[in-house]
Amino acid sequence: MDKLMSDLKTQIIAQLNMQDVKPEDIGDDQPLFVDGLGLDSIDALELIVLLQQHYKIKLSNAEDGPKVFQSVRTIAEYITAHQNQAA
Amino acid sequence: MKMYIRGTGNISPQKTFGDVPFLEEPVLYNGIRLTCIEPDYKDIIDPKMIRRMSRIIRMGVAAANACLQEAAIPVPDAIITGTAYGCLQDTDLFLTKMVEQKEELLTPTAFIQSTHNTIGAQIGLLLKSHNYNNAFVHRGFSFESALLDGIMLLMENDASNVLVGAIDEITDNSHAILKRFGLYRTAAVSNMDLYSTVSRGTIAGEGATFFLLAKEPSSHDYAQLNGLATFYKPKDHAETEQHIVNFLATHSVHISDIDLVIIGRNGNAKDDAVYDRLTQTIFNTSILANYKNLCGEYPTAAAFALWLAAGIIKNGIVPAVLNVSNTTGKTMKKILIHNHYQDTHHSLLLVSAC
Repeated sequence: MDKLMSDLKTQIIAQLNMQDVKPEDIGDDQPLFVDGLGLDSIDALELIVLLQQHYKIKLSNAEDGPKVFQSVRTIAEYITAHQNQAA
Repeated sequence: MKMYIRGTGNISPQKTFGDVPFLEEPVLYNGIRLTCIEPDYKDIIDPKMIRRMSRIIRMGVAAANACLQEAAIPVPDAIITGTAYGCLQDTDLFLTKMVEQKEELLTPTAFIQSTHNTIGAQIGLLLKSHNYNNAFVHRGFSFESALLDGIMLLMENDASNVLVGAIDEITDNSHAILKRFGLYRTAAVSNMDLYSTVSRGTIAGEGATFFLLAKEPSSHDYAQLNGLATFYKPKDHAETEQHIVNFLATHSVHISDIDLVIIGRNGNAKDDAVYDRLTQTIFNTSILANYKNLCGEYPTAAAFALWLAAGIIKNGIVPAVLNVSNTTGKTMKKILIHNHYQDTHHSLLLVSAC
């Protein structure tokens, strides 16, 4: 899980072009949207693409978005659960 | 027609942005394209916004911001932009991913930011402005069309001030494609030798130039803008001359009243044939200044010429880099700009002291 969260932080920074943010600046449980990292709805679309590109996981239900993209940990948990399902 | 240039903001291949002397230190290039000198955007644009902005958007937003600050107008009544190529870097990125990823998993940001009205929209968003916002994409008339829209808004009392800008960038891909069309030189040239090595093709350029035009004068205006006209594909030199004669007559000005003519000579023999003729006829006694060796050739380069004219009038000096003789002790009160893009899009602008 720690390795996955670390990879995710690097991928989020690259995907969202956050040039001044380092992986260690993002907390595992830090909220990604609004008050936390300050992401918005366009970033949510970028994160959906990221999941598909890197982990071949499609967010099947759009309503799950706010829960899945709450923090790096919740994304990692979603990936782990769905990769296990696929296996 | 009278309107006032109250502020300018210009990011160009020269040192033109911020508190810098007026073209006192010309930047020399030896190559096939001129690239804009960009400021540190962190001091100008919210870092959260910067990450989504490509280079041309940053340049446009920063130039517009500087222009509004200089004019002391926080939110203009209208935001009007002109661009021929739009946000090429984002278009490039989006199309490349579309091909590489077989039209799947395309990220939204590059697509959203690739539209031609992105810069005007970003300026509006940053200012939280719901005022008139329009973008013109008319090849070599893009800037002139934006300017004409601004002039009409002021003349019809729909606005008391308008922010008008021109933005175009050159990317590796666009430069390679346009070079194949024969627009640009294939061998490196010094921009300062552009006119002494006239041959096929010119030197590519880019820029982001904004103006705040106001209906009423103030104590700190650059100059008055008195006239704008465009004409398309003149059939011969005689028609070009006739358009210039008509333009001057419309504004009750004789060519001998013009203190300086800024012309769009670009070092391409085919394009410069226009000026080879005009300098023997209507401009034969005029003091002439070239400018495209400073900013390069691009479809909205006339905006750089207008910035130059406004600066000459405001500062009361013709920069030495323009290499213009016979101006010592002469006050520049009336400047005519004639620009053309590939001898198809011609424009005339008349600028005078306040």
